[in-house]
Amino acid sequence: MSNTTSDDSLITTEVQADSNDDRAAPAAGTAVAARDLDVFYGDEQAIDDVTMEIPEKRVTALIGPSGCGKSTFLRCINRMNDMIEICRVEGDVEFGGKNVYDGDVDPVALRRKIGMVFQKPNPFPKSIRDNVAYGLKIQGFDGDVDARVEESLKGAALWDEVKDQLDSSGLELSGGQQQRLCIARAIAPDPEVILMDEPTSALDPVAASKIEDLIDDLAEEYTVIIVTHNMQQAARISDRTAVFLTGGELVEYDDTAKIFEDPEEQRVEDYITGKFG
Amino acid sequence: MTDSTESPDLSRRGGLTRLKEGTYGGLFAACAAITLLTTVAIFVTLLSDALVFFRSVPIAEFLTGINWSPNPAGGGQAFGIIPLLIGTLTVTITAAFISIPIGTLTAIYLSEYATPNARSILKPLLEILAGIPTVVYGYFALVYVTPALKATLFPEMSTFNALAASIMVGIMTIPMVSSISEDAMSAVPDELRQAGYGLGATKFEVSTGIVVPASISGIASSYILAVSRAIGETMIVVVAMGAQARMPEIQEALFGIPFVNPADVLLQSGMTITVAMVQITGGDLTGGTLPYNSMFALGLALFAVTLVMNVISDIIAQRYREEY
Amino acid sequence: MATDNANADGFGEVSRVRGIVFEYLSLGASVFGLVALGVLLVYVAIDAFDLANASPEWLLTYFLTLVVPFLAFCLYSADDAAVTRRALGALGGGLVAVAALFTAIEALVVPIPRLNWQLAYLFVVAAPVTAYLAYVGSGGRVGAVGFGLLGRLVGGVAVGLAAGTLFLVFDPLLWFLAYTLGVLPAVGLYALGRLRSSPRAQTATVPVGLVGLVAAAFLREVVATYPSDLLIYLWTIAIPVAAAGALLVGDRRGRTAAVAVGGAPLVVATAGGFLASSAGLPAPTVLLVLVLTGVPTAVYVSRVVDAGEGLAGLGLPFLLAGGVIAGALVVQTFGFPTPEPWLDGSFLTAAPSRTPTDAGLYPAIVGSVIIIALVAVLSFALGVGTSVFLEEYTPGTGPLGTLTRILQVNVANLAAVPSVVYGLLGLGLFANLLGLGIGTAVTAALTLSLLILPITIISAQEAIRSVPDDLRRGSDAMGATRWQTTKNVVLPEAMPGILTGTILALGRAIGETAPLIMIGAATTVFRAPDSLFSRFSAMPMQIYTWAGFPQADFRYGVVAAGVITLLIILVGMNGTAILLRNRAERGS
Repeated sequence: MSNTTSDDSLITTEVQADSNDDRAAPAAGTAVAARDLDVFYGDEQAIDDVTMEIPEKRVTALIGPSGCGKSTFLRCINRMNDMIEICRVEGDVEFGGKNVYDGDVDPVALRRKIGMVFQKPNPFPKSIRDNVAYGLKIQGFDGDVDARVEESLKGAALWDEVKDQLDSSGLELSGGQQQRLCIARAIAPDPEVILMDEPTSALDPVAASKIEDLIDDLAEEYTVIIVTHNMQQAARISDRTAVFLTGGELVEYDDTAKIFEDPEEQRVEDYITGKFG
Repeated sequence: MTDSTESPDLSRRGGLTRLKEGTYGGLFAACAAITLLTTVAIFVTLLSDALVFFRSVPIAEFLTGINWSPNPAGGGQAFGIIPLLIGTLTVTITAAFISIPIGTLTAIYLSEYATPNARSILKPLLEILAGIPTVVYGYFALVYVTPALKATLFPEMSTFNALAASIMVGIMTIPMVSSISEDAMSAVPDELRQAGYGLGATKFEVSTGIVVPASISGIASSYILAVSRAIGETMIVVVAMGAQARMPEIQEALFGIPFVNPADVLLQSGMTITVAMVQITGGDLTGGTLPYNSMFALGLALFAVTLVMNVISDIIAQRYREEY
Repeated sequence: MATDNANADGFGEVSRVRGIVFEYLSLGASVFGLVALGVLLVYVAIDAFDLANASPEWLLTYFLTLVVPFLAFCLYSADDAAVTRRALGALGGGLVAVAALFTAIEALVVPIPRLNWQLAYLFVVAAPVTAYLAYVGSGGRVGAVGFGLLGRLVGGVAVGLAAGTLFLVFDPLLWFLAYTLGVLPAVGLYALGRLRSSPRAQTATVPVGLVGLVAAAFLREVVATYPSDLLIYLWTIAIPVAAAGALLVGDRRGRTAAVAVGGAPLVVATAGGFLASSAGLPAPTVLLVLVLTGVPTAVYVSRVVDAGEGLAGLGLPFLLAGGVIAGALVVQTFGFPTPEPWLDGSFLTAAPSRTPTDAGLYPAIVGSVIIIALVAVLSFALGVGTSVFLEEYTPGTGPLGTLTRILQVNVANLAAVPSVVYGLLGLGLFANLLGLGIGTAVTAALTLSLLILPITIISAQEAIRSVPDDLRRGSDAMGATRWQTTKNVVLPEAMPGILTGTILALGRAIGETAPLIMIGAATTVFRAPDSLFSRFSAMPMQIYTWAGFPQADFRYGVVAAGVITLLIILVGMNGTAILLRNRAERGS
């Protein structure tokens, strides 16, 4: 991970995929799987027959041009698409072997097992402590809240910066700190999967690189699924990469190194070399 | 929050939680239902007593009668709404003569001429005009405006008169015209103004020739709202206009054309629909009497007129919202 | 605008003149209503305070002892040479201009009744300059501290008086039981849960509180002996308020400061309460006023001292009080003739009377306070509930979406129903059909609540809509239920806006007269109401009644005093609402 920040500005066709040797080898179980997934917004199809299995405790990147459906796919996993009235989902999304679109699944209960980090940092206008403890509070957590807050802030690499100001407002932090606060908030209830929707696109490069380092660490304990439009970022931090192209089609899904060095599909090569998209 | 597909999941979520969620949702829905119930209650209350009234006094007689005396000393009640309508129309029209031109000019000034600073001061100040209790306006009309008018312009004016009351109603409804009209004018896209300036129009020509016609539906809806507010206004007229239901004297001018001298209406006391209602409350309020029921018939007429005007104003206002 | 400038040819000249005339015409129209209202307010103030009979010496004395020091304070706080120059210029130039203009009008056109040039100067020049300087001065640190302190003093007195008034109607003994058995344990449990981070204790709060309240209602029928009223107020209000103040300060400044801030006002208030009871004054009200003024003031002073900035501002109340005393001394020493204001202490504490000089507003004020308190609770609860339902609980499409739209149109139409019609609803439904009684306080409160409900709902909806969607999504993604998101994220953010809207709507309710007449509110009552079902009058009702009296002293004196009282209360409420909004806007 030593070279993660150095090539930020380089636009190169030969992106070096970071070989996350430490956890690349052993075959992992499946955390999330999609089967024949179609999503429509009204009459428009946003996801077109996607089938893929996402391994647990790995970083999986979803890349593709804007409007390709990668964010839609992410929001299917914790059913945030339910909030959009015209959105219709067909097919299965399995989480822990259970189809989350089954009739007996409560999306609220589902979301308690899946954390989410948004594009724009959105800490609540509460104290840092209350922000991190939010998930614990709504789930009726009965243990030591303060210990869990500290643990989560450490997990989000924010503890050292805020340990003396836990009672000040989360809005007083800088943008990058706010985003790490949101990550701490997401991991505090100890979810199994963390969804990240372009978590660094609203941040400056330095703050972004801190988040990238953090994502790498998070994969030790959590399954991380990250949407990014930044191909270098996908190459640097992910183990697996899925390339979506216009129309919501999953064109290729493989180990990150393979995608960036030797993609099967011409269209994928065109996209990552900048000829298309 | 539009999560409409929420499905129960007994295995993951306790019944207590769902009960709590349902209770809160139900409570909020009940609160919302109260607003609907209020409308229904207004309608039913007015209609039920009004129907009793119309059983004794036929609707035709009520609508065409030219005599209103619900509690006469010597007997012989009369329930004709015409003199009340004349009173209400007098106040409404006179007030409109004040609120409409002044309100429109104010809106043009705020939208086209005022600096942002001046606007941020003037707008909340104008809202004060609508926030003063109406009984205070009535008191002003009775105690300050009438004597001032009497001392200067109209020596023959009576203590209770329609003019002073109407002036106050007009001033009170200025912000209604100005704020809605200004919203409509501000919604006119700047490109239209630029186009006008590009053709060499002056600011005056752009304001009156482009902005006002472009926002005419919003302006019209503000007029209707202000008039509807003036129709329902009670305390100003009760305090300052007196309570004499009378028909104006019809005079004959040249060639036998009948006309009404405006001074005869404006400078004398009169009675509006709302004053008639208030006056009846001086008697028995437990219900069952004819005057009591007539109050509800008047209320129904007032409610119907203001409701229709609001709906019309709403429909007109929809148009300008759609245009841009 | 460029085209407004004259072109080379004559055509430009013509249109420029027309444009300028039009601009000034529209400017004149914009201020016409305000000027008219201003003139009327000046006259009503002159009548209420009998300023027409104030001698120039009297005016000058108070101008020098009260207004000038206040202006100096504001200028000192603003600390801006340009402002000082402008203010002094306006005061000086205005003096010459007003005196000259006034004399000219009187001599050449028409004599102006009940006004002289000194009064004209006070209202036309001195009052606006003072208001402007107060605004500018409050921007400085010293001024902010001074006005903050003044606001707490005045607000504390107002809240204390209002609370004392409410206990005229609500049973203090029941409150004593309810507080001891329900409120105190519930609050204690909540605090414990918060301190120990134990949600279970917090969940128990509501049931424990409810059980306590039910037990209190039951015991009220059984228990016969109670402590004295004074002790009840001490135990249920004074001690908790003092404790809250002490806690606020104790967090940052330690034990000594906390004891001082909580204890000193408590001791003063208790002593004041016992002294008042031996002096025949209403002891509970004195206690409430003292403690509700003292504790917030003490907390504020401690905070200012802590911050160490703008300490000079703490002198403002002394400056004003000193000005009043000095003025009174000078007036007495030199024997200046003083005006006899209609609006004085006895007007606010006496009952209505047939003789103008004895007439007072007290029962009507009590009636208004009680009604407004009930309306506040009802319309706030219903308004928040409805707006949450409309904004958070219903989708935009589908059958429920249609229902939402119907509700929305319905609310808009209700807002435009004339207030007399609401009066008829109250008369027909609440007073006669439901038997709540003609002209009772509870009928009036229900009627007025429905009347302002649409305004409350519309403003609460706006406040809820202004909460960023980001926050809702963030909370949803954490697995919060709809109610949890509403309670934890949406309502706290929207609350200042909701409160502002509610207070503004209450301002509408406090001045409404027509619905009160329709439900048969008494035109005059000589005793303050002592239960929710007793006959009552309200301030606007009393004004309406007096305005119909033929005597000039009533028309020009007593009613003017009533109008000014009503307007001062209105300004106080709306000012609070605006401060609340500004503070919330600065916070976010």
